[in-house]
Amino acid sequence: MAKRILITDDALFMRVTLKNILSTNGYEVVGEAENGVQAVKLYEELKPDLVTMDITMPEMDGLEALKQIKAFDANAKVVMCTAMGQKNMVVEAIQSGAKDFIVKPFQPDRVLEAVGKLLAA
Amino acid sequence: MKVEYVTPFVSASVNVVQSLIAITPERGKLSARPQLFTSQQVNIVCGITGQIEGQVIYGMSMLTAKNLASKMLGGMEVKEFDQLAASAIAELGNMISGGSSNQLFQSGFKTDITPPTIVKGPNISMSNFDIPTLVIPLQIAEVGELEIAVSLRQRQTQAA
Repeated sequence: MAKRILITDDALFMRVTLKNILSTNGYEVVGEAENGVQAVKLYEELKPDLVTMDITMPEMDGLEALKQIKAFDANAKVVMCTAMGQKNMVVEAIQSGAKDFIVKPFQPDRVLEAVGKLLAA
Repeated sequence: MKVEYVTPFVSASVNVVQSLIAITPERGKLSARPQLFTSQQVNIVCGITGQIEGQVIYGMSMLTAKNLASKMLGGMEVKEFDQLAASAIAELGNMISGGSSNQLFQSGFKTDITPPTIVKGPNISMSNFDIPTLVIPLQIAEVGELEIAVSLRQRQTQAA
């Protein structure tokens, strides 16, 4: 059965791009969230195998959403996928339980490598 | 307005465009404006907050915006500047601002960025900050001109 992924990004373009990369490589994109609030709600509803998480978003940012998802499910696999690659952001995300940190703009292989590694286990 | 605040935006723009559409932009001549103003048809407005604050506008013609969105969407034809095309252009601004913020952090300035806003229609003047603006045009082959207007200042009051 295909692994189930929830995509979180406020930009439609990024959601379309990520969905293309993932679905053409055998993953099932089960949900798309436009902000942190939606991501937390959809995570609880869909219980996906993995979440991609942008940081800069309206309503609730990705770092807060990550913390809330980890509080709901300590085993949640969340990969940050953001234009904000500065060290303090990376450190905060990893300390809050993110499994990987992808800086935009990215090449498709970078996403597939991160997702593949986490979902192979 | 210090030139050192502009340099990260120029190098981040070149990196991001190159990475997204595999074309290396040519940097044009730096010019100054007394305030943040754009006469371009499509503008991405990004807020910068933190130790350096203000706004950056990435401006371009409608044709350039469509060309750029088309390249970003893997060559898909963009006839109408629809929601997906606008989102691609906004995300370009977000990535450049994010990359610049990373470089500013390495120079010792901690900043954050706000989600981008797309403003269409020429002759827009932003007057919430009275900060002089530096403008750099980038020529992107097969796409058109991307104009970066940077209006930033060091934060006046220290955070509590």
